[in-house]
This record gives sequence, structure tokens and C-alpha cells, in this order.
Amino acid sequence: MRIAMINGSPKLGKSNSGMMLKALEPLIDSKHEISHYNMNKKPLTDEQYIELCHMDTLIIAFPLYFDAIPSHLLRMLTTLEGYMKAERKKEIYVYALVNNGFYEGKQTCIALEIIKNWCIRSGLHFGQGIGQGAGEMMGFIEKVPLGQGPLKNLGRAMERLAKNIHSHGSDESLLFSPNFPRFAWRFAATHSFWHAKAKKNGLKKKDIMKRL
Amino acid sequence: MMKMIIHDLDQQEFIALYDNQITDVTVISDNGTIRKCIGCFGCWIRTPGECVIKDGYDNMGELLSKCHELVIISKCVYGSYSPFVCNIVDRSLPYLLPYFAIKNGETHHRFRYDNKFTLSVHFYGNDITKAEKETAQALVAANSVNLNSIGNKIYFHNSLQTIKEVI
Repeated sequence: MRIAMINGSPKLGKSNSGMMLKALEPLIDSKHEISHYNMNKKPLTDEQYIELCHMDTLIIAFPLYFDAIPSHLLRMLTTLEGYMKAERKKEIYVYALVNNGFYEGKQTCIALEIIKNWCIRSGLHFGQGIGQGAGEMMGFIEKVPLGQGPLKNLGRAMERLAKNIHSHGSDESLLFSPNFPRFAWRFAATHSFWHAKAKKNGLKKKDIMKRL
Repeated sequence: MMKMIIHDLDQQEFIALYDNQITDVTVISDNGTIRKCIGCFGCWIRTPGECVIKDGYDNMGELLSKCHELVIISKCVYGSYSPFVCNIVDRSLPYLLPYFAIKNGETHHRFRYDNKFTLSVHFYGNDITKAEKETAQALVAANSVNLNSIGNKIYFHNSLQTIKEVI
């Protein structure tokens, strides 16, 4: 089976979407051929769009932007729809991994519906989606083994997703938060993430609150 | 306070639709220069309230803070906005703060401004499916919570002409 892993993050460096794909990849049987696609630096080329039309499976990972899909990924999907209509010759299954900056994974449901609607327009099969909350936490717990501690829910969901990818199965999407209390996540995000990052730029809390 | 219209129409289409000469209307349209939000959070931790990408669309946060009525006109694309309008929404992040608030049991961002605006979204397209309409309704409702609008109204149009009648 030919599988495309599409990282829909716009970030130039490391991304949480990339980490999710990296966590999924070892669960895919090595007999399958995996190709990687990014659109963070420049849009996909014509050749890449055509390659995607000849895959068996597309796995799209992206961050949730205002309850939906980031605009550059949406733009890519609209172009890919055209290519699919012209080039596709076989059945293609689509799986999606969404990470939400907020704690609740269930907020990714609208973005997954958009992907489903895109699949229908493009003549593709939607297999399953995973929606994880507290996405920005991924970078801090990268070394935690999948399926353990705060990544317990993600590990379970990835196992089920991998099983469906192997069999081209379709299943209900899995939306969840990490195994970590929300109050602790909120405290850590505020102080260890936002305040720490602002401080590096010489900003204090009152600067962050600035009104123009 | 002003009315703001965000749309994805070309200039001629928009003029045909809305030839109102009232000056306190800010129109955000596609001039071909917009760049994607790169998720750098610079609008929160480098230049708070302002996007660091200087492409003419970097002041969406400030514009929204001065808006009392927001009208969006967008092609309905898979139940989402069109890529340009979606891009504008993405670039509106500086309107919010990085801090969190719990609303209806879920996490959202706190607001940088006390401002509130009414929100009307006009989706157009001649073959919008039932599923896409449902997705679009859910999206606008969720955006309404995250942007602190005073409710939201959503309309679906088969043609641009019907937008003219209600705008």
C-alpha cells in the first residue's frame, strides 16, 4: 500500500502535527511505502499533487485554527480536489489527525467534518479522524513513550487508527484530551509557555495584554 | 465604531453587490498579497495585538476591536469559508489573548478587548450540500463564541444576487 503522510502545519520548525505523524509511523507495517509531504515553506508542486492521486491512503495531520482547517491547507485541498477528479484511478482512503491548542479534543469535530465534506467532493473515502486536545503540550512530552502517562489516550487512539489504516477500515472518530488534569495544563501553559516565551522577548504580562 | 465587511469576491462583483458610499465601512478583500498564519504566536509574545507578518493584513485584531457589525461574504467550501476568508479569520488571532477562559465547560481564549460585534455570514454557492450547511452552521456558531460576537446569523445563497437583497 502506498501511504502519504501530509503534514498540514504551517510552522517552519518542529510542529505538533509532525510529532503526531512521527508517533503514528512506527505503528504502520514496514511493508507499506510511506511518503512525506509538507507545505510549511512552499505549496505542493504539480508533481506532488499527481503523486497524491496515485496513493492508496492519505493521512493528513494539522492544527486546529479557529475551529477549522488552516487556510493554507484548505487552499491545498481545493487544488487537490481538482487533481483528484482528473487523475485518480483507484479508491483512496483518508485519515486525519487534528491537534487542538485548547484542552478539549472534541473541539476538532468541525474540522473533521470539513475533511469529510472534502472527501465526498473529491470522490475519496473518509476512514477515521483523531482529535487531540492540548496540542502544544506535545513538544514538552516528546520523550514520553506513546501510550503512557499523558499520552495514554493518544496511544490507544493511534493503535485503533493504525488498525483501520491497515485494513482500509472506517470508524467513528476519536476525540480526547491528554491524560493530564486541565487545571495543571492551564497553569503550565500560562506560566511555563506564554509568560516564558514573552519574557524571552523582554515582555511582561501587562505587555501581552496591550490594546491598540 | 464601524461596520466591517470581509469578502472573497472580485472587485466588480463586490461593487455590483454593495455600492453603498457610507464611509465608516471597512472592506477587507483579497488583493493577492495575503500570507498564511504561520502559528508563530508573534501576535501574542512579540508584538502583542499585531501580527508580525507585514502584508497589509496584520491589523485584523485592531480592526475587529473597532467593529460593531461584522459581515462575512464567502463561498462555502466543504462547509468552511473560502481559503481567503479563512485566511483572514486565521490572521485575526491578535484580537484574542493567549490566556484561557472556561466557557460552557470548554477552554477558549480570553479577549483582548471588551468590544462586541454582531456577526452575519453569507455563504454562497449553487450546490452546497446539506452536510456542508450543517458544518458551516457549526463553524460559525463556534467562531461566534471564540470571537465574542453578539450571536450570529447565517445565510446560504444560490447566487450573489440574493445577497444583494439582504446585505
